[in-house]
Amino acid sequence: MSLRLQRLLLILLTLVIIFSAVLLILYNTRENVSFFYTPSEINKSDMASDKIIRIGGFVENNSFNKISSSLFKFRITDDKTSILVTYNGILPDLFREGQGAVIEGFFEDNNIFKATEVFAKHDENYVPAAIKEDLKDTGYWNKKYK
Amino acid sequence: MSSLIGFLSLVFAIGINLYLLISKYLFKIKNKRFKLFVRLSSLLTLLSFFSLMCAYVVSDFSNYNVFQNSHSNKPMIYKISGTWGNHEGSMLLWLSILSIYSFFFSFIKNIEDNFQRLTLNIQAFLHILFGLFIVLTSNPFLVNSLFVEEGLGLNPILQDPGLAVHPPILYAGYVGYSIVFSIAIAGLFHNKDDEWLYIAKRWSLISWTFLTGGIALGSYWAYYELGWGGWWFWDPVENISLMPWIAGLALVHSLMMVRGEQALKRWIIFLSILCFSLSVFGTFLVRSGILTSVHSFAADASRGLFILLIFFIVTGFGFLVFLLKEPKKSNPLNLLFINKVSALVINNILMVIATLTILLGTIYPIIIEVLNNKRISVGGPYFNSTVIPIMIPGFLLMSIAPVLSWQTNKIKDSKKYALGFIILSVAVLIQSYFLDFNTWGFVGLLLGFWIITASTIAILSSYKIKFSIKFFQIINPHIAHIGVGLAIIGITCSSVFKNELDFNLNEGDEFNVIGKKVLFEKIETTNEINFQALRGKFLFDIEKNRLNQIEAGKNYYPVSKMITSEAGILHQWNRDIYFILGDQKDNEWFVKVLINPFVSFIWLGVLIMVVSGLIGVTRR
Repeated sequence: MSLRLQRLLLILLTLVIIFSAVLLILYNTRENVSFFYTPSEINKSDMASDKIIRIGGFVENNSFNKISSSLFKFRITDDKTSILVTYNGILPDLFREGQGAVIEGFFEDNNIFKATEVFAKHDENYVPAAIKEDLKDTGYWNKKYK
Repeated sequence: MSSLIGFLSLVFAIGINLYLLISKYLFKIKNKRFKLFVRLSSLLTLLSFFSLMCAYVVSDFSNYNVFQNSHSNKPMIYKISGTWGNHEGSMLLWLSILSIYSFFFSFIKNIEDNFQRLTLNIQAFLHILFGLFIVLTSNPFLVNSLFVEEGLGLNPILQDPGLAVHPPILYAGYVGYSIVFSIAIAGLFHNKDDEWLYIAKRWSLISWTFLTGGIALGSYWAYYELGWGGWWFWDPVENISLMPWIAGLALVHSLMMVRGEQALKRWIIFLSILCFSLSVFGTFLVRSGILTSVHSFAADASRGLFILLIFFIVTGFGFLVFLLKEPKKSNPLNLLFINKVSALVINNILMVIATLTILLGTIYPIIIEVLNNKRISVGGPYFNSTVIPIMIPGFLLMSIAPVLSWQTNKIKDSKKYALGFIILSVAVLIQSYFLDFNTWGFVGLLLGFWIITASTIAILSSYKIKFSIKFFQIINPHIAHIGVGLAIIGITCSSVFKNELDFNLNEGDEFNVIGKKVLFEKIETTNEINFQALRGKFLFDIEKNRLNQIEAGKNYYPVSKMITSEAGILHQWNRDIYFILGDQKDNEWFVKVLINPFVSFIWLGVLIMVVSGLIGVTRR
């Protein structure tokens, strides 16, 4: 095989692989990317659809309610809007009222957010980056948060 | 006192490296003295690191870093590991490992002096960059302005033996690519012979082996400590470690194959630069706080900017030299359709594309936020459904590549392989009929078993079995691939065929897990040195007399007011039974039981890869 043909073959092959990789990526970013909101950014259309989204905020004080050993209700807030969340499972160790948390899930009827996953970051002073700026704007920012 | 020694030796080491770098251009120093200075700077950097460790061991809270991250009633092992359990200390560890690599490299004989000096000069350059970074933005030797008697404590989640050793080993992998980078750049300048390829081979294999071990340790830690029952989460930091790993894998393979082909040499240099760039880029992403993850320590914008600067210097310098230096002679690749070299080339393309896919998924949220001001997260499903399909053809190739010939189109014993593959496919198909059929499960199992089978056929039919070190060195590639096969089986089974059961239980209840009776014996609380433990005690398989006690619960750390979960895992060779103790309401406890089949195969497979990496290092 001549050198030129080899090179051509190699380039063609690479292009084919890259092309299929790009197709895969495009397809998957449409399917598997979830949007991240703060409670006040959520609008009616998000509530209507059963799309999986993430919400970042604080667990509102005095909102945590243990219904059974595995079923919990609480509100996620950013000090403007708060959203009622239900979760069935085991809460992360750092989940606490007044602390930052990120929840993933979808809206059920009656505007209740059904969380499929709850993340509380492994730092007691952690604040979701997304609401950090909002907090700074509203003057609610607490110095101890990192 | 120790802090002062530490700081001075750190600065002094940077000074020596500056001297070494300048010496290349301004004045000549003798080779012997040059090496002496390299070793001196390494020892000083290590002295600096050990002074910090010393401050941690004696709980010297006049050091601000110790005050922030340690506590006097911590067990000794966590005082030591606390040294690198924070941003400043971990960067000092990074620099120390860099200088250890220079130290050992300076001892290599049978190597041209100019080449060795050039490599060490580039190392000195990197040492200065990272040294300045530490001194200017993350100095671990700052004095605490307050007089305090007690420290703030180490994050309890980091108080684990697995995590004590995970960062040093992982860093040994990351930073190892610095020496590979230096060798490659020096090789570009010093384009006389191909000797540097053999040197690069050994060092890249060392780094890759460390990186493999480090990633596996971190993954194992996540598995039993984070209490989610999984071992890989596509967390940004995991992705960051995976990128240089895959690129490094491509590099190791290219170095094994290279026989003086100029194109392949260029590719090797490209990969070497890529590996180290990815390591530095990973450090930037984690330390800058752009990505929030389990691993981010306190974020600081100036640190991020500084590392970004280092990243651009390193990458820019590397790729610039790469583009400017012309290859001397051309010795073309022999790309017949089916031979070793073409299999290698295709595999390399696949690996680099997989790396880029991971990179894209990891930084995609940042790009979208900048462009769109929308915040998104890219989760595990994205990576699973892009990276895995890209890797599958590579895995298929891998199973036969070692027995392909160098030059011709022929495969030895091709009938044996075809027969093996057909029998295997039928067997897996039948087996998957009895289990729930699952496409991914089927593909994964077939691939895993096929890689093992093909490697075994290759060993049996091509070599005479002997039990000598030399024999193992020869069949080493096959051993590594068997490890990969085992890991694929483990990964497939534990992710596709896992099972999750939820229970609400009172103490004394009996319940069924996979047909075995389990007794929820009692809840117990005890006081340990630095935490209080709450444990649910379970007896597994009470009908048979083989009693297995499992303890799952939580620890409460009063110093940092944190709770950590402690999963209870019953390891069996074919599955892990994973108990998580949840919340309590009145007398009722929530208990989650995960059945993860063949998880042990993952660790076994990785262990085989690491051992085979070590064997590879010994082989010339």
